[in-house]
Amino acid sequence: MRRAEPLEPEVEAALEAIDATLAGEPVDPEHAELAELSLILQAERPAVPESFAATMDARVGDRFGSGAERTSALRLVWRRLWRPGFGPGWLAPAGAMAAVVAVIVVLVSVTGGGGGSRPLSFSAANAGSASSSAGGSAGAKAASTAHGSNQLSPSQPKAPAAPVPRNPLGRQIVQGARLSLSTRPSRIGSISQRVFAVIGSEKGYVASSSVTATGHPDSSATFALSVPSSNLQETLTRLSQLPGASVVSSTITSRDITGAVGGAGRRLAEARALRRSLLQQLASAYTTDQINALKARIARVDKTIDRDNAALTTLHRRVRYSRIELTLQGSTPPVGHRHGNGGGFTLGRAVHDAVHVLVIAAGVLLIALAVAIPVGLVAALVSWLWLRARRKAREAALDRV
Amino acid sequence: MIELRAQPAPAAAGSTWERFEALYRDARDDVYAYVATLLRDPAAAEDVTALAFERAYRRRATFDRRRGVERAWLFGIARNAALDELRRRRRTAALAADPEDVDAGSVADGAEVALRRTAVRAALSGLSGREREIVALKFHGGLTNGEIGRVLGISETAAGSLLFRTIEKLRRACDATS
Repeated sequence: MRRAEPLEPEVEAALEAIDATLAGEPVDPEHAELAELSLILQAERPAVPESFAATMDARVGDRFGSGAERTSALRLVWRRLWRPGFGPGWLAPAGAMAAVVAVIVVLVSVTGGGGGSRPLSFSAANAGSASSSAGGSAGAKAASTAHGSNQLSPSQPKAPAAPVPRNPLGRQIVQGARLSLSTRPSRIGSISQRVFAVIGSEKGYVASSSVTATGHPDSSATFALSVPSSNLQETLTRLSQLPGASVVSSTITSRDITGAVGGAGRRLAEARALRRSLLQQLASAYTTDQINALKARIARVDKTIDRDNAALTTLHRRVRYSRIELTLQGSTPPVGHRHGNGGGFTLGRAVHDAVHVLVIAAGVLLIALAVAIPVGLVAALVSWLWLRARRKAREAALDRV
Repeated sequence: MIELRAQPAPAAAGSTWERFEALYRDARDDVYAYVATLLRDPAAAEDVTALAFERAYRRRATFDRRRGVERAWLFGIARNAALDELRRRRRTAALAADPEDVDAGSVADGAEVALRRTAVRAALSGLSGREREIVALKFHGGLTNGEIGRVLGISETAAGSLLFRTIEKLRRACDATS
């Protein structure tokens, strides 16, 4: 609507006279001519043909037949949502869209995005992957790493450590692992004791350890552990399932040293063969110089044999025993996780789950809005342009009459 | 004898259907008269009037009282339907037929009144489409200036001003004819 400007008194009086005339009221004699014109114009009003009136009455009585009632139930619901009295026009569809998004988010959250069926309380990331490569040739060195990463959440069930790669037949594999656990600061000491117990029962040993148990969040413990490689998987599993601790991250590394072992073995065999040859030469030597020279060479070969033997022994020990670097970090669990570590339902977990769902819902809604808003703006612009063009066309049609 | 029509207020309460039915009873003749004046074709006016009421019936749930009275809303629908009809038929100013004049030559009318009416008809035919529309809305549709403004998308003052100018033009045309 254009901005209203006050009418001139003369115009206003004339309009009032017209209205009065049409309402059957007397008008000022000054406006008699205007009143007469008004009455004539009113009398020029086209009358409704009786046949048309009867037809219209019948159609309206029939509520325009079934044609006007072809709207589906869904469309009627939609119209009710759009009904002006219901609230702001955009609120209803926006609410409906938000509800749909929320339902999708809840479904995705509960089902874990189709990748698992764990309860919601256990939905923290716990992805483990493993890969290994043993190398194609004897001399090739290959390394593989397996990672298991878990969000810090003491209420999680005991997440297994990343799987230890299998040792292919005849390959010499050196394995190692880094495991990071989290627990309450007050439990650093007791869990450290459990670590010692686990290592002992797995026929391993603690190469070094450092335990700082202050009862505060700075409490921590580090361990350098060595266990038989055959027990590595079991040891990691037991460590990751220590009561009161949760896995923050786990990393397993493996390296194929078949080539190195083979090389050391060959060098040792060659040195031994050389020594035997030298001993035979020594047995047939006549001169003192020859004897002394051979003895000196045999001494050097003996050192080589000792060194190669030690290297081979070290390599074999590294294959037989795996090293585990364990870190135990004290941390205060968030509110809602201080009710034990069982898998049961608690109010705190419910609140946590609710917040989690809301955060995901907000994220999804944000993404949806990021898509919907530009599309909606373009649609609104196109719609506005179309409506404007149609209005102009209609007005132009009136001008042509 | 010129009959003055009362303007019953549309039902304020009741179901959507009852309100629509009351609106139909109240505005059927007015809408037809308005459309017929605009199109100057009785047959087309019937079609457009029927279409307007059917559209209004389908959209009755979307009527918003805060945006005006139901009569203005209905006339807006009728206006769009009539203009669409004009567009479709690409009508020009030279139309085939004017509305049927059932009172032409009535013995009851005096010669002076008959002469005056003839002059008014001649003046009406000289109006532009917009001018004839506002005459139709006011004198045939029975709308107030405020309702006319809502139908045309202008202010009540602008509608009044447009109406006054049109009436003045008619008066001058009638005087010239006389």
